[in-house]
Amino acid sequence: MNRKQQFKEGLITNNPVLVQQIGMCATMAITTTLFNGVGMGLSVLIILTCCNVVVAALRKIIPDEIRLAIFVVVIAGFVTIVDLLLQAFIPALSAALGVFIPLIVVNCIIIGRAEAFCQKNSVKDSFFDGIFQGLGYTCVLVIMCVFRELVGSGRFGGGLIDIANGFRFTLDGTGGGIQIFPSEYGMSIMNLPFGGFLTLGLLIGLMQYALKRSEKNRKEAERAAAEAAALKEVDD
Amino acid sequence: MNNKIVKLALVLFLICAVTAGILGVVNALTYDRIYQMKHQKEFEAYAAVLESSSGYTETDFDKAAFPTVDSVQKSNDGNGYVVVSTFSGAQGSITMACGVGTDLKCTGISIIEHSETSGLGAVAASSSEAGVAFREQFVGQDGGIALSKAGGSIDALAGATITSTAVTNATATSIACVAALG
Repeated sequence: MNRKQQFKEGLITNNPVLVQQIGMCATMAITTTLFNGVGMGLSVLIILTCCNVVVAALRKIIPDEIRLAIFVVVIAGFVTIVDLLLQAFIPALSAALGVFIPLIVVNCIIIGRAEAFCQKNSVKDSFFDGIFQGLGYTCVLVIMCVFRELVGSGRFGGGLIDIANGFRFTLDGTGGGIQIFPSEYGMSIMNLPFGGFLTLGLLIGLMQYALKRSEKNRKEAERAAAEAAALKEVDD
Repeated sequence: MNNKIVKLALVLFLICAVTAGILGVVNALTYDRIYQMKHQKEFEAYAAVLESSSGYTETDFDKAAFPTVDSVQKSNDGNGYVVVSTFSGAQGSITMACGVGTDLKCTGISIIEHSETSGLGAVAASSSEAGVAFREQFVGQDGGIALSKAGGSIDALAGATITSTAVTNATATSIACVAALG
C-alpha cells in the first residue's frame, strides 16, 4: 500500500473529522485550549495506532460474529492504560480532559478504523493508518483550538506555552499562553459548545470547498490533456 | 452449532483475560503514584486554605445535617478547621476545601476536583489571574456570604453563574458546619 496515499488520506482527502465526520463529540467539547487539543490528539493517536496494530494482528482469529465485542475490549483496554498513565504522569492533562479520555472508548474514529481498515489489511498498513488518521485528527483539533482560543479569549497556546519567565513549553498545563489581546474583548461564546459547532461547521465547509475545487481542477486538467492528445492525433 | 458458540465464547474469554492481565500490571505500576498524588493534592489544598505548622486531625461532625460535607479537619495549631465538601457544579460534582477560622470567617477556598467547562466554570479552580481573584474574594467572608446579585459581595465569574453560586453556597455550608461543631 502506498504510504504517501495513506498520508494524504489521513490528513486531507479522508480526514476522520472533516471528511468521514466521525468523533465529533469530543472534538467540539475539548478544543478550548491548545494544551487540551494537543493532549487529546496525541492520546487518540497513540490509542488508535495500538488498537489498529492489535486488531490487524488478530484479524485472522477474530470470528466475524463477535468482532465488535472484541474491538471494544481491545479499545477499552488501551484507553484504560493511557488513562492510568496520564493520571500518574501528566495529571494536569488528565484533569483538563476529564471524562473525555475514558470516552475515547466509544470514539467512532477508533472503532471505525478497526471495522473499515484493520480487519482487512496487514499489521504494517494498519500501523501507518493509525499514525496518519491520528495525525489528521490532531491537526483538526489544533486548528480548532487555536481559532477558538484566539477569538474566545485573545490567547495563543494556553497551558502549553509560558512566557512569564522567558519562552518555554509547559507540559504540566501551567503556562498562561501568549495574550494577543485582552481577554475581556474576546467572544467568550467561542469557548462554549456553540463556538465548537460554529468552528467545526466552518472547517468542514472549507474542506469540502477545497476538495470539490481540486476535484474540478483535476477533471479539467484531464480533459485538457485528452483534448491535446486528440489534437496531436489529428496533426499526425 | 454448539461447538461454534463454545469457540466464540472461548476466543472472547481469552482476549478479555489477556486484556485484564495487562490492565492489572499497568494498574499495579501506576497505583502508588496516583494515590500519592491525590493525597498530596488534598494536603496542599488544606495548607492553601488554612496554614497549620503541626498538621490536621479528622474531626466528627453532624453528617445528617450537612450531607454535602465529606470531612472536617481540625488544625492542630488550633487556628480553625478545613471543611472538605462535594456538591454539584454546572457540569458535575465539585470537591472543595474551605478553611474556616475560629472567628467563623472563611480563610480561603481551594477546589480539589471538578469537571466544569474549560474557560468558564473551570476558571474557579485555575491558577490564572481571574481564578485567583475569584477565590480571594472568599477570604474574610462570614456565614452570610452571597453573590453580589443576591445582595452579597462575591462577584460571579463571567459566564459561570452556576459554578459561582455552587462554590458560594458550599462556603456558607462549610462555615455553618463548623459553627455547629460548637
